[in-house]
Amino acid sequence: MIYTLRHRTTYRYGKPVRFARCALRLKPQDGEGQSVLASAVTVDPSPATAVMRRDYFGIDAVAITLDLPHTTFSVEALSTVRVERPAPPPLETGTAWERVRDAVVAGRELHGRAPVHFLYPSGRVPLLPEVTDYARPSFSAGRSAYGAAHDLMLRIGQDFRFDAKATHVYTPLAESFALRAGVCQDFAHVMIAALRGMGLPAAYVSGYLRTVPPPGRPRLRGADASHAWVAVWCGEGWLGLDPTNGVAVRDDHIVVARGRDYGDVAPVDGIVSGSGKQRLKVEVDVIPDTETQDLALVG
Amino acid sequence: MEGALAARAEMGESPRARVARWTAGYRPAPGRPDEFLGPDGAPRGAWPRLLDRLGALTEPEITARFVAAERHIRDAGISFRIAGDQREHPWPLGCLPLVIEGAEWQALSAGIVQRAELMEAILADAYGPGRMVAEGLLPAAIIAGTPEFLHPLHGVVPPGGHYLKLYAADLCRGPDGRWQVLADRTQAPSGLGWALENRMVLARTFPDFFQDLHVERLPAFFQAFRDGLALGAERADPRICLLTSGPYSSTYVEQAALARYLGLMLVEGDDLVMRDGRLHVRTVSGLKRADALWRRIDADFLDPLELNAASRLGVPGILDALRNGSVVMANMPGAGLVESAALAPYLDGLSRRLLGEPLRLGHPRTWWCGDLEGLAHAQANLDSLILRPAATPQRGAGRDAILAGPVLAAERARVLAALRDRPFDYVAQEAAPLSTMPGWERGEAGLSLVPRPFVVRVFATRTPLGWQVMPGGFCRVSEREDLDPIEMRLGIRSADVWVLSEKPVAAPVIGSHAAPRVRRVGGHLPSRAADGLFWLGRYLERAEAVIRLVLAHLRSVGDAVGADISGALDTPAALALRTLLHEWGATGAAGMPTARLAQEALAGSERPGSARAHIDAARRNAAALRARLSGEAWRVLADLNEFLALDPDRALTESQLAGRAERALSHLAALSGLTHENMSRAEGWHFVELGRRIERAINTCTFALALANDEATPGCLGVMLSLCDSQISYGRRYLQGAALDPVRDMVLLDPYNPRSIAFQAEAIARHLADLPALAADGIPEPHCRLAARILAELRSGEAADFDAVRLTALETDLERLADGIAARYFPTGPHALRPEKLTGLA
Repeated sequence: MIYTLRHRTTYRYGKPVRFARCALRLKPQDGEGQSVLASAVTVDPSPATAVMRRDYFGIDAVAITLDLPHTTFSVEALSTVRVERPAPPPLETGTAWERVRDAVVAGRELHGRAPVHFLYPSGRVPLLPEVTDYARPSFSAGRSAYGAAHDLMLRIGQDFRFDAKATHVYTPLAESFALRAGVCQDFAHVMIAALRGMGLPAAYVSGYLRTVPPPGRPRLRGADASHAWVAVWCGEGWLGLDPTNGVAVRDDHIVVARGRDYGDVAPVDGIVSGSGKQRLKVEVDVIPDTETQDLALVG
Repeated sequence: MEGALAARAEMGESPRARVARWTAGYRPAPGRPDEFLGPDGAPRGAWPRLLDRLGALTEPEITARFVAAERHIRDAGISFRIAGDQREHPWPLGCLPLVIEGAEWQALSAGIVQRAELMEAILADAYGPGRMVAEGLLPAAIIAGTPEFLHPLHGVVPPGGHYLKLYAADLCRGPDGRWQVLADRTQAPSGLGWALENRMVLARTFPDFFQDLHVERLPAFFQAFRDGLALGAERADPRICLLTSGPYSSTYVEQAALARYLGLMLVEGDDLVMRDGRLHVRTVSGLKRADALWRRIDADFLDPLELNAASRLGVPGILDALRNGSVVMANMPGAGLVESAALAPYLDGLSRRLLGEPLRLGHPRTWWCGDLEGLAHAQANLDSLILRPAATPQRGAGRDAILAGPVLAAERARVLAALRDRPFDYVAQEAAPLSTMPGWERGEAGLSLVPRPFVVRVFATRTPLGWQVMPGGFCRVSEREDLDPIEMRLGIRSADVWVLSEKPVAAPVIGSHAAPRVRRVGGHLPSRAADGLFWLGRYLERAEAVIRLVLAHLRSVGDAVGADISGALDTPAALALRTLLHEWGATGAAGMPTARLAQEALAGSERPGSARAHIDAARRNAAALRARLSGEAWRVLADLNEFLALDPDRALTESQLAGRAERALSHLAALSGLTHENMSRAEGWHFVELGRRIERAINTCTFALALANDEATPGCLGVMLSLCDSQISYGRRYLQGAALDPVRDMVLLDPYNPRSIAFQAEAIARHLADLPALAADGIPEPHCRLAARILAELRSGEAADFDAVRLTALETDLERLADGIAARYFPTGPHALRPEKLTGLA
């Protein structure tokens, strides 16, 4: 499947910002079942400096600075991506989760893609005994790592309520876990904490999800959203699991970045001087190539 | 007891007998190595030399010396905070130094140097090629599991070429009697400043001992450390900053002392800013480059953009300056990685591989539970091991938190469960009690020596010729046998460390190699310091104004004693004074009895406008300026603070209160005299003076509005003169009593009266002219134009013109001038625009 992606972020500030320093992580991941056919990011006002850097985890980030007073800051990313992933493996035939864990701990790899970096607590994902205890029933002795993780994902999908009002972007994991509610970010963080608590490497994946408009209705512009899910290390490679929707990741998910938690992959991140009140607007379009013609009609 | 001591001294107890009496009951615990007595029970090392020298002093002499030392510590404001505690505690200097013989020290130093080299090599490998992991000498999970493995620093070559410029190790003796390392400190080791303070205090307490006992001196080490900080900087005359964790951190006093001693600019994160890829300090002369940084904050807090996003202590984007090599940092962020306890089992192998020699200086036996054999050992020996977090503990947890001591039966299930889920998060360590050294104990029969557990921190710094170890250290000694002196807290004392050379030690030569360049000012003033100095001046002046109001009120009532007191309370002047004090928040209600009102306005701790509250604010402000204030100024301020806070619950009489107010005024006069006579006429002085002058001008306006308005009675005018300390001049100049125009002229317009507003305005204009201008176009900046207009109005005005309308306008202009100065010079101050995080899910 080929997708055209548009992700527009606009900040409006209560007071003029004199200096800003931001990191933009908006370019979709190239590789592991994806190829980026085109990608461009435009920033308004135009930045004083812009440097592209690939970080330790392989995420492409553009570091920009803005040095003229401004009250609006907008970033638009446009990309075209081909997604062709193999079908997920059978659930219960892979390497046992205990063996996956022991192999990671004994591993001799320290580069940024090595699973060992995703084994430990990170800024947004503390390891909590109650979360590990929640995970435990899925991890019977000798079960395949993928089967156990998939089961955990289904349980989270059942036990947790999607509720955009229940949490906000800085809600601590302990709170969203206690509420059993939240948005994709919370679902992903809880599942990561649960997997790591059991000793399995787990990563936070940011990206987009293809949505299907109601039958007979055109796609509305900007109505999609950015999405987040989980990648779990199953011994041979990373496999994507989407606890918010209770599905294994295949061609409907488009990966932008994979990091330890939201903090590593935040699409637009930065520090501004004296913004006063901030208002944020995000518009996302995920358009499968089969629909590009329709969009022209709507636009 | 005192009698018994004196009797013994008179009997002429011999030095030898005295030492014998002190040590008669000294019994180290079995199996616990001791510094003074060897396993055979015989005195050893340098201790007999120290004790013989001490024995030459009588006990009253020794006591007197320590009392003097404690007074010095209190007076000099040497203090520390216990983490999580707001109060400052006086520095608890223990009575005996730890003494180590030169030969033993040489061997220990060689071990320290080797360990520092090893840590450097491990860091260079972990942040570089990762060979040790690939070769199987070091598990990847140990490095990845340390929060101090900072991914953004991977592949960044440290400017200047080295990760470590300062290395510290906590030592005690192991069960075999050999020195061993309890912890390596590479993140931002504290304690150098305490070591220095301890040495300075003991040098005052026992000046003669240093020569007699051949104690190695410290200045050469500090000089080498300072030189090393700048090593690798891009510019020849680098600006070196000490990035402090702030006035509320437990070691702030130490950091300020070091900045002062080493001549470093003391800065907080807000003082620094990245521009054009380089690090700069905000100063009153604009942004100035910072070339080298000694950070005393943990690396995680250093850059909210790339590291801990919640940090308010760091500098957004500062890692870029490391990437492009434009700032040298001690130590390199990420150096904390090698503090991990889980490294211990692998150090000997790493030393053989990286340095080609076995490890000289050991550590308690340690097993990493991520290793199957280590886990099996830990599970089988839970009763004799302690279990600790493998990585440097996460934020919030105590750095040396011990998860479980020799495990209690009830705890066993919890510990085993933790080991089952994530064994690699733990290490097991041999549990051994700390070794001991002598400490004083005062008992019924006088002083005696008893064994006390201790830990000594030693330091090494990198020089162009290799590592140099400080011949001394920072020792923590417990006051009780069962309390481990791991961190400074109550019940723990610190002690100096003396390395006793065989031969006499040469007097230290400071500034060894290059002659220093002559300078007259200490460099550009950071904006934050300017802000602090400005407010110091304002708070002191405000406190003085409150005290003068109180005193004027007490006197106006006191003069009426014998006549009708209730009448005196109702005079327009007394009413005006009470109203002013109330409006300033110095008293809770204007209608209180005079004595209560005066006491509250002077010393009320819950009144935001009391003199005490202002002095307290001045002192807090000054705490952040410790590196810039003289010890004397600090002492006067501390005295005044203490004096005003004296027995708050005792009701004082009016005359007692007047006495106190007068004494407080003398303290303030002493402080202003110190500023005037001792403070260099550099930028800092201008800001203290600006604060004082502006505050005085505004206060005088306020007083004149209340007491020298068109309806003012002669009584009011008299009080106005006394508030401005101008009665005597007035009396000399005018034969008749206080009249409106002459009084107004004297307190508002007379440029010769140092209390008049005109005098303040002249001074303000002069100070502003002496401060740096930002623009080179020659046009005065807005705040300078305002100051010039205020001055012109006062110069050209006549007393009769200054009615309430005119005075109110003048007061507003002065307030605006204060705001204008703040906006121009203090962009980092408390009211400044703070950097904010972009919010929301983008």
